[in-house]
Amino acid sequence: MSDPGLSHHTPGHHTLGHPGLAAAPVDVDALTLMLGDHVLLDRATLRLERGEVLAITGGAGSGKTALLGALAGQPVPGVDVAGTAGVDGRRLLIAQGGRLAPRRPLALQVAEVVGHHLGVDLRAALRRVADGLDRMGVPPAARRFDLPPEQLPDSLRWACLFAMAIAIGPALLLADAPCAGLDPTVRLRLLHRLADWARAEGTALILAGRPEDGLAGPADRALSLRRGRLVPSGPDGEPQRDAEPAPPGHPLEVPGTVRLRAHGVGVSYPLAPAPNGERRQLTVLHAVDLDLRNGETLALLGETGSAKATLVRALLCLPPPTTGLVAWMGRDLTAAATTTSGSDDPDPAGLRRARRDLQPLFPDPAASLDPAMTVGAQFAIVLESLRPDIAADRRAHRIAEALEEAGLRAETAARWPTALTAAEAAHVGLARALLSEPRVLIGDEPAATLSADERAGFLDTLLAARDRRHLSLILATERMEEGLRDAHRGLVLLMGRVVESADAATLRTAPLHPYSRAMLAAARGDRPDLAGDAPSALNQPAGCPLRRRCPKARPFCAQAMPPLEEVAPGHRVACHYWDMPDNGDA
Amino acid sequence: MAGIDPQPLSHQALPPTPRPGFARGLSGAAVLAALALASAAAPLMADGATIRRIDADPVVAALLDGRGSLSFALLAGVLGGVIGVGWAVAANLLAGLVGDRVERRMMRGATRLAGLPLALLVPLAGGLSGSVGLLALATAFAAAPAVATLAHAELDALMRAEFLTAARAAGLPEHEVLRRHLIPNALRPLLAAGMLALPRALAAESFASLLGLGLPPALGSWGASVGLAARLGDPLALAPPALLLALALWAACAIADAGVAGPASRIGKP
Ligand code: SF4
Repeated sequence: MSDPGLSHHTPGHHTLGHPGLAAAPVDVDALTLMLGDHVLLDRATLRLERGEVLAITGGAGSGKTALLGALAGQPVPGVDVAGTAGVDGRRLLIAQGGRLAPRRPLALQVAEVVGHHLGVDLRAALRRVADGLDRMGVPPAARRFDLPPEQLPDSLRWACLFAMAIAIGPALLLADAPCAGLDPTVRLRLLHRLADWARAEGTALILAGRPEDGLAGPADRALSLRRGRLVPSGPDGEPQRDAEPAPPGHPLEVPGTVRLRAHGVGVSYPLAPAPNGERRQLTVLHAVDLDLRNGETLALLGETGSAKATLVRALLCLPPPTTGLVAWMGRDLTAAATTTSGSDDPDPAGLRRARRDLQPLFPDPAASLDPAMTVGAQFAIVLESLRPDIAADRRAHRIAEALEEAGLRAETAARWPTALTAAEAAHVGLARALLSEPRVLIGDEPAATLSADERAGFLDTLLAARDRRHLSLILATERMEEGLRDAHRGLVLLMGRVVESADAATLRTAPLHPYSRAMLAAARGDRPDLAGDAPSALNQPAGCPLRRRCPKARPFCAQAMPPLEEVAPGHRVACHYWDMPDNGDA
Repeated sequence: MAGIDPQPLSHQALPPTPRPGFARGLSGAAVLAALALASAAAPLMADGATIRRIDADPVVAALLDGRGSLSFALLAGVLGGVIGVGWAVAANLLAGLVGDRVERRMMRGATRLAGLPLALLVPLAGGLSGSVGLLALATAFAAAPAVATLAHAELDALMRAEFLTAARAAGLPEHEVLRRHLIPNALRPLLAAGMLALPRALAAESFASLLGLGLPPALGSWGASVGLAARLGDPLALAPPALLLALALWAACAIADAGVAGPASRIGKP
């Protein structure tokens, strides 16, 4: 395992003699890929100039990997290639997930590949990789590449793989699902850096991934792989659609009175005591205030470590927050939930009534279903618990109604959770939440496991249910644009704190906090103006949690945590210098 | 929209396929059942002089030995499985009542014990007392820590399963969550963990009997017969019990593996 899924081919492997076209490093003509009888790619023609960055997007199984394999000269086994894929010069493929040996030091693996390609010794290879890391903007302090990949954060792993590509300097670089799984702000930063390098060095770069990965942002051109054809895709990486519902004109109901109120909600976990016997705890959520009005949709926006999921659970009192209170229609839920965990009082202080009104949508819908019971059986338990007013013989009817409302057939009740697809499980999760006829749905990335199309379908169903039932909705997501599209208001969370709260239109057009701006830029495929990676929860810098990445940071940011202050009616920002310009290069 | 996508290369949600170890476990169970039946029927195959095992056909004699070995392994294995599973369940219960510290300490003890060569206790107990009851207890105790470690891991994963949170969100009180969701889902992994005791008990007993410190000769045991034949230098008498023992051990291990391979994948993401 010395070659971590990377390969190169010297010129001429597939090239046909096109004297006039020699300048273009990639010249694909009538390339057809077949998997058995199934056409993955039908007579595609593609030309890429030096320094051109191309994004190829497509859903799961659309044949991206097979196409990249054919271009890299290492066809995927089982895929038949016809036509020509001419590549002039060295080509390098960064395979899906980087494909590194998990236990060997990363620097060694990368340097071996570089040495193998360039015929230099390990030292020279490492020096070249270090230069590449400079171009990727990885500060020397963060370079712990003597560690094996499994102990390094994903972002560093990707930065190192890109640095390796830079060190090798191929004529064509192919990246399959680059930076998959990284936070949008980090992913877009790395991809933009890579694209900048490709343009500067005249390398043709092809980025392939799912439409929702935002690969089109850093690219000059975006193609979408659909039904075996490469077609130009729209600005967001999806094929151009004519009937895209105009988001701003969406008639959102005006919210009514405050129903759900959270005050100073914080969550901390006890840690093992310090060596001197001192008690320690890890605070992941710091005193968040939040109101939800009748019929309002609130987006919780944040990336990994923002504690949006923790906030969602705290609002549902699953488990109740460690500090602060959550009140539903004026009744304190935290008290009810804490005093009764353990006792068997059937309706402790109206908690069950509140549970009927507040229903969750889980991030992994399949895991939220009991595998030992059919869908209908577990739904019946929910009804029995939350809707004792529905007679036992009417339950089946109510279950069928809820399933149909969630876009499923009533027969789904008889199915076993393990037999459901991811999309079906998500819809079943929605049906369960609707079962008790709640007033509020609180969801933590309920569609995270779905593909782009499935997610769109799921969100449509969810929003249709919201509008029909005048539900209030809290949706946590890391996709800023998508989250705000159908929301009234948004809260941007960073390291367990609200850093900006405003109405959706303001956040979509003119967010003020540097982190909100970076998230918005990333959601649009632009270059996020943030350096480095998010600090770990156990090692937070003093003062503002963003200060090591922030373009506006000044010395004072290290001294005091910025409070959340109102800068305009209904618009609050937690930043000392939100109204100052960026300080050049931080 | 999903309809117009070409056939995916790899499905994200394949229909549930039988687990890899499942077929092996099934054949293991069949082999073990056949062995048990053959051993039980062995007295019918032998002529009247069955008790004088030396004179009997070596295969029949080995089958007769199987009665002792298998029933003892079953007894000690069930005992060991119950002790191990009880250990893990008790640790989890105590965690709820007293605190995580007790649980962690109990399980650390189990992990440490599982790393020790506890099988040596069995010949020791056999040599010191010779009573079958004590021998069974020692064997069970030797097998229990490994069972407890696995059972605890399974329970831990299960307790963190999201569907329990979903049940709480539906307002079910804890005892109902336990009755309706936790126990039905815990039975299978716990049974699978308990299965681990069977091959261990069989191996420990055979080892002790091989040394002549195991089951009393009247009961018969594959280990004892192998040991005796080896000492007498009689390959014809050695082969049948050794082969049957190997077969039984393989079958017991296959059953245990099949049980272990399954449940974690059913619970889903922790
Ligand atoms: S307080 Fe300072 S570091 Fe924090 S976001 Fe504002 S300018 Fe940046």
